[in-house]
Amino acid sequence: MMRRYSKVTAIVVLAVACLGGSPRANAAPDPVAFVTALGTQAIQVLGPQVSEERRLAQFRELFRDDFDVPRIGAFVLGRYWRIATPQERQEFLRLFQEYIVQAYSARLGQYAGQPFRVLGSRPAGDEIIVRSQVVRNDGSAVTVDWYLVNDGGRLKITDVYVGGVSMKVTERDEFGAIIQRNGGRIEPLLAALRQKVGAAN
Amino acid sequence: MNVRHLTAARPGHFFAMGLGLAIIGCAAPVAAWAQQPAPATAVSEENFGDPLENTNRAIFGFNQQVDKIVLVPLATTYKTVLPGPVRDSVHDFLRNLDEPIIFANDVLQARPDLASTTLARFVVNSTIGIGGLWDPATKMHLLYHSNDLGVTFAVWGIGSGPYLILPILGPSNVRDAIGLAGDGYADPGNIIASDNHVVWAAFARAGTEGIDARSSNIKTLADIERTSLDYYATIRSLYRQRRAAEIRHEYTNIPNVSPVQGGDDTAAPPISYQVAPGSSPVEAPKK
Repeated sequence: MMRRYSKVTAIVVLAVACLGGSPRANAAPDPVAFVTALGTQAIQVLGPQVSEERRLAQFRELFRDDFDVPRIGAFVLGRYWRIATPQERQEFLRLFQEYIVQAYSARLGQYAGQPFRVLGSRPAGDEIIVRSQVVRNDGSAVTVDWYLVNDGGRLKITDVYVGGVSMKVTERDEFGAIIQRNGGRIEPLLAALRQKVGAAN
Repeated sequence: MNVRHLTAARPGHFFAMGLGLAIIGCAAPVAAWAQQPAPATAVSEENFGDPLENTNRAIFGFNQQVDKIVLVPLATTYKTVLPGPVRDSVHDFLRNLDEPIIFANDVLQARPDLASTTLARFVVNSTIGIGGLWDPATKMHLLYHSNDLGVTFAVWGIGSGPYLILPILGPSNVRDAIGLAGDGYADPGNIIASDNHVVWAAFARAGTEGIDARSSNIKTLADIERTSLDYYATIRSLYRQRRAAEIRHEYTNIPNVSPVQGGDDTAAPPISYQVAPGSSPVEAPKK
């Protein structure tokens, strides 16, 4: 009898807790489920049965919806973000988005259709890191860490680490080198991006 | 984007010997900053740790030509002519030859956990694996990890020094280049070859290691080159980040999701990813 009561009580308490908790504005979605769905989808999209055109379209959608593009863009430009004009920022974000889509849909091709598994998550400052693992075509496993922020109740990706290599650090270093070699001006980077993005279209 | 491969994971210890000795000659002025603590992954936004950029870019261009004309055709032929299992055996054999030096570095870094794994791998693969032609150790969950003297120096707190592009060998820095030379000099295999007047064997090993490494990333590197705006800057960033991860030993001993090549299906248990506060197995990116 006692047992049954405690069970009922537990359910009631749980239900109340759930109801009470749900109206919270920043009810955090489950980061593990988020990455599982996203990673599985991305790996399918990379597969050889998907046409190049469709792959790019899907990546474009994925990057736009699930990545915190403004935050990543600001990080990637670093101190140059602060000196950029609003027009430059806007154009940069547009070009950067397309550049990432084109570059990484090709670079991640080696993970096409490979087993993908999420290992767990942990908080890190205002971010959540979800660790996952994917097997490369040659059979070796690579650790992929996803950095997420809770953006008003929606999870957004701020960075992806593949085998210890950060996507946004790589791009910051590359773009920074281009700006630096052009006398600290942003326009030459934009020109290079325009050409790269345009040439592939 | 596996940069460990593109640095030609321990490419040619023996070549490195002579090369590294030449570098040691110019290492004296470097000793001053070598005393400074390693700056972790923080990259100066000003020069990316690359004061010799113009020279490096020139050598990088030369390497790209050699890569295009010699290495890629060789690696492609190697991949086409030899069946997969043979290439796997070559790969396993070369790796097994590297284990003594990896063991030495595990010890120098005071990592008994890593050292015991390396030792066990070497014993298992040299015996059951018939001189290293097979890798039964991995199936026994004795997982391979790389290690080298450059990492040891970094663990000891020595800074990387300027970024360097070595002719043929590719991305490096002063610390890692000296490490490469040291590893090549101390390698038992090279010493045996040298003592028995079969130095060619050491060169053959170095060359095969280069081709083995290059053959595993032909498409990856081509994709990075094609899609990047500044290939040199991208490789520099990848090298620095990859080395930083190797120095942290962050990805060492992470069990595989599934058995690597056939084998029994005892998938490794999921890793608990809860970490104690204060410890930080995953380095948060510098903001």
